[in-house]
Amino acid sequence: MTQPAPLELDVRPIIRDGEDPFGAIMAAVDVLSPGQALHLLAPFRPAPLFTVMASRGFGSQDRQRDDGTWEVLFTPAPAPGPDAEMTPGSADDAGLWPDAVHELDLTGLTPPEPMVRILEAVTGLAPGEVLFALLDREPMFLFPELAQRGHEWAGNFARSGQAYRLLVRAGARDD
Amino acid sequence: MAGKHLSRWTLVWFGSAMAMLLAGCALGLLGAADPQGWSQGSNLAVVHLFVLGWLCQVMLGALIQFVPVLAARPLAFPGLALPALVATSTGTLALALGFLALDGHQALQPLFLLAPVLIGLGFALVAVMVTATLWHRDSLHLAEVRMVLLALAALVGLWLSGGRMVLALAGLGPAPDLSAMLPLHLLLGIAGWLGLAACGVTYKLFAMFLLAPEQGGRLRGAIFWTAAGLVALLLAALLWLLAGGSAGRATALALALLPLLALLALLYLTEIAQLWKARRRPALEPNMLWSRAALAFLALAAALAIPGWLWGGTWAETAVFVALVGWLSTLTLAQLLKIVGFLTWIQVFAPRIGHQPVPMVQKLGSTRAASACLALWCAGTLAGALSLLGASPAGYRLAMALLSLGALGVGRELIAVRQLAHLPPAERPGQLPHLMLPLLHPRPRAETRS
Repeated sequence: MTQPAPLELDVRPIIRDGEDPFGAIMAAVDVLSPGQALHLLAPFRPAPLFTVMASRGFGSQDRQRDDGTWEVLFTPAPAPGPDAEMTPGSADDAGLWPDAVHELDLTGLTPPEPMVRILEAVTGLAPGEVLFALLDREPMFLFPELAQRGHEWAGNFARSGQAYRLLVRAGARDD
Repeated sequence: MAGKHLSRWTLVWFGSAMAMLLAGCALGLLGAADPQGWSQGSNLAVVHLFVLGWLCQVMLGALIQFVPVLAARPLAFPGLALPALVATSTGTLALALGFLALDGHQALQPLFLLAPVLIGLGFALVAVMVTATLWHRDSLHLAEVRMVLLALAALVGLWLSGGRMVLALAGLGPAPDLSAMLPLHLLLGIAGWLGLAACGVTYKLFAMFLLAPEQGGRLRGAIFWTAAGLVALLLAALLWLLAGGSAGRATALALALLPLLALLALLYLTEIAQLWKARRRPALEPNMLWSRAALAFLALAAALAIPGWLWGGTWAETAVFVALVGWLSTLTLAQLLKIVGFLTWIQVFAPRIGHQPVPMVQKLGSTRAASACLALWCAGTLAGALSLLGASPAGYRLAMALLSLGALGVGRELIAVRQLAHLPPAERPGQLPHLMLPLLHPRPRAETRS
């Protein structure tokens, strides 16, 4: 698969105008297509941004040009290999989601108990927070319910085929 | 976004199948399924109400609901479910009425000829949905998925042989040897289509309800390849016969396959026994407890297939009866009670999770009621099998009564489940789901993110 060309974002004019470029950078990250890198141009080395981007699944390479401008290339972590096929309907950008704030081990529970536990836990999350659940099998009846409530999800089987891994990112509060 | 929770028409498929089952049982009770005269039109009508109207329709509806779970992908062409249902149900009624033309009601002859067209259309529409959903490299490596696709291949043969027999009975076209066509029709229908579809689905369903590991090992692969060889030989024999080949050879081949079929049943039962032993759920619900009775009937049918092969006659009839009424119907009735409860729970309570307490799914059904009617059904099967072997009309009538009572009980329990009648009033929502029709209006909280 060919990688899309990096998206270029020059924040020098924004900084020159005395504005904070963080919103513009995050907006650019949100419009990246899967696998696409972000090429950032800044008047200084944006060290705090490296941590933020790392938490969203991006590695970074930086260098200073002769004119003093810093060039940073944020590259997304490689997509899962073919043996980690995502269940159809999974969000494309799950690799960029923040770390899970909740982890649930739901193996050994009969359906629909895993669905009840996950939906109850998701209801308590703030928008954008992520939950991780381990299940015996793909919860086919949960997926439409999550979508209906405005939450995103991504899931696949572990390599062994004996456990299913699910990430859910809470959308707007659904109460 | 993945598909909806329920295939919209699943419960109407089940309802239509249950109506045909009750009609078949009632007519059987009235004496319209007389073992002494299977070739009479009225008997063939009742047999087809039972096999096509009940077993085939419930299997088609279950596949539409279940293949997305089997393949972990949304159902393809969900809009075809309703036309398929209309085609198969009207086709079944047309066929049942059309058989009466054989008893002298000539006015019904056009219905007899229309029936295979409608049934074929219904089968084809479901086959398109199921195949398009399952045909994916992630799914095709699963033996149970391939088994369901193999069942569809057998369904084509079932329809071809059935359609050809309708033409012959209606006096159209060169008459093939019906006594040679019938064994192929039976084997393609019972072992090929219904049997393999049931095996494929139960691997997943049993693993789910037993909390057993889902890995199909070498044994499952071996079962698939044996079944594939069997279906291929049956289809080849059918095509040979349709092309004007010798009836004797086709019959000889079909009958020679019977021991292989018994072996196949034994292998399947061995694998299910392994699954059962590996289960992590000690206490079982009625659907699984009574599925054991269904599996015992499969073993009995396989055992009866051997004397049926050697001596034919009532032994073969009894084997067919035990396979259809004992194995496939008991299995379906037991699982239907569970599945309808589960789907109703999802429909009513899934939107409420996280916002208010929801009852356990088990509380939607009554273990006692389910076990009582399934016990009646199994007793009816045993009485039927014994009366067929002993040529006892009184015993057969008793069997029909027991089966009718069992089927009525299951029907009543299914309605109670849909109406949430077993839940305490405080746990029942204000608005009950419709008995069969899908929700035709969107849910109030239907906001979705793009």
